[in-house]
Amino acid sequence: MHWIFDFIVKHRSFCSFLLTSVLSLWMISGTPGKQAEIARFLTSSIFYPFQITFNQINQIKNIFSENRKLKEDLANLTTHLSLLEEKAAENKRLRRLLGFSENYTFEMLPVKVVARDPSLSFRSIVINAGKKDGIQKWMPVVGENGVVGKIIQVMNSLSLVQLLRDPSNRTSVMFKRTRTVSILETENGRDFFVRCRSHEDTQEGDTVITAGLGGIYPRGLQVGVVSHVTESNSPLFKRVYLKLSVDFEHIEEVFIMRLSPQWSAFRSEFDSLEFNND
Amino acid sequence: MIKSIIRWIVFFILAFILQTTVVPVISIYGIKPDLLVLILFMLATKTGLIPAIYTGFFLGLAQDLYSPSILGQNALSKTVAGSFAGLFNEKVMRIDPFLQGVLLLITFLLNDFVYFMVQVVKSGVTMNLLGIELLVTTLPRALFSLLLAVVPLVLNLYSQTATKR
Repeated sequence: MHWIFDFIVKHRSFCSFLLTSVLSLWMISGTPGKQAEIARFLTSSIFYPFQITFNQINQIKNIFSENRKLKEDLANLTTHLSLLEEKAAENKRLRRLLGFSENYTFEMLPVKVVARDPSLSFRSIVINAGKKDGIQKWMPVVGENGVVGKIIQVMNSLSLVQLLRDPSNRTSVMFKRTRTVSILETENGRDFFVRCRSHEDTQEGDTVITAGLGGIYPRGLQVGVVSHVTESNSPLFKRVYLKLSVDFEHIEEVFIMRLSPQWSAFRSEFDSLEFNND
Repeated sequence: MIKSIIRWIVFFILAFILQTTVVPVISIYGIKPDLLVLILFMLATKTGLIPAIYTGFFLGLAQDLYSPSILGQNALSKTVAGSFAGLFNEKVMRIDPFLQGVLLLITFLLNDFVYFMVQVVKSGVTMNLLGIELLVTTLPRALFSLLLAVVPLVLNLYSQTATKR
């Protein structure tokens, strides 16, 4: 018996190789059931510490894939959320517009702003309605807070709107409290004023509405409120500065009032007028 | 001695973590380098034949337990690979880096050859398919692993040179 130990010690490398190879071959030759049994025994005994380590490794692997999936989900949901927020904001705006349009008896066509004048203080906008929608030149354009401008050019499916802030624009307005009529003017597209006689009673906060005299806007549309009053050089007149109701920087949807100019009914009579220069 | 054993265990655990996490990411056309064989080779050439045999056996057995393969398949292939690499112990012979590269390549091929031989015997795969498998999978994998082994081999060479000084 002693010679066996001597042999093993003397040829320990060979014996180690033989032992491990035989063990491996024994496991390989086993039936699947037997292999599963051996695997269960090994994982619950000598490989138990490794079992915990491998579980941790698997968790690390899962963390990577889970992290990637969560990032994908997050990107999708963020996009979805921003779309929903956009829809919610649009819904809110449209509801406000709807509430506004119900206050007027005119037929209102809701349209979207599709382009803006690229200048810093943009003076016009393009809307997504044109001839095919029955839009005509000079139709008033309003927002939920008041007058925006008027149609000055009509294309097939688009129209150009001249905004109130265009310095070349002149709008007949009226002080709601005093019924004083004047013309809305601007020199730079930012500061808006009306000229009034010096003795007119004007106060900060007075509401200014359309006068309905220009033939384009009906009477009573909100234009703005008086912000401050300055005395002009002339002793007869003063300038009353207004803060317009519409925020031109954030217009996205507007309404077109299907309203022909008041003078159109009399156009033939205007055209037939003959002025005697004598 | 114990410090050395703990160090090698840490190496193997790290290799195992890298093998299951990073290696699939850097695989090219499904060809993945085998870091475990690489570490086994390094251990074998550093410590000798007997540690290499047992490390190869238990390492392979661990792989068998935690991967869908025939129980004992990796144990046998890694035992054979470890035994071969353990024959070239740095304590008894001096191996230059080029020879180390060649031996490492042979170790990879031997490991895969034994692995696929077991597959042939157990699953009835024909020898022709075995040849194709060795050519299409094993050789590229061995070369890929060898490419990764350049860094540790160079570090090993540097440490040997530093020790001699």
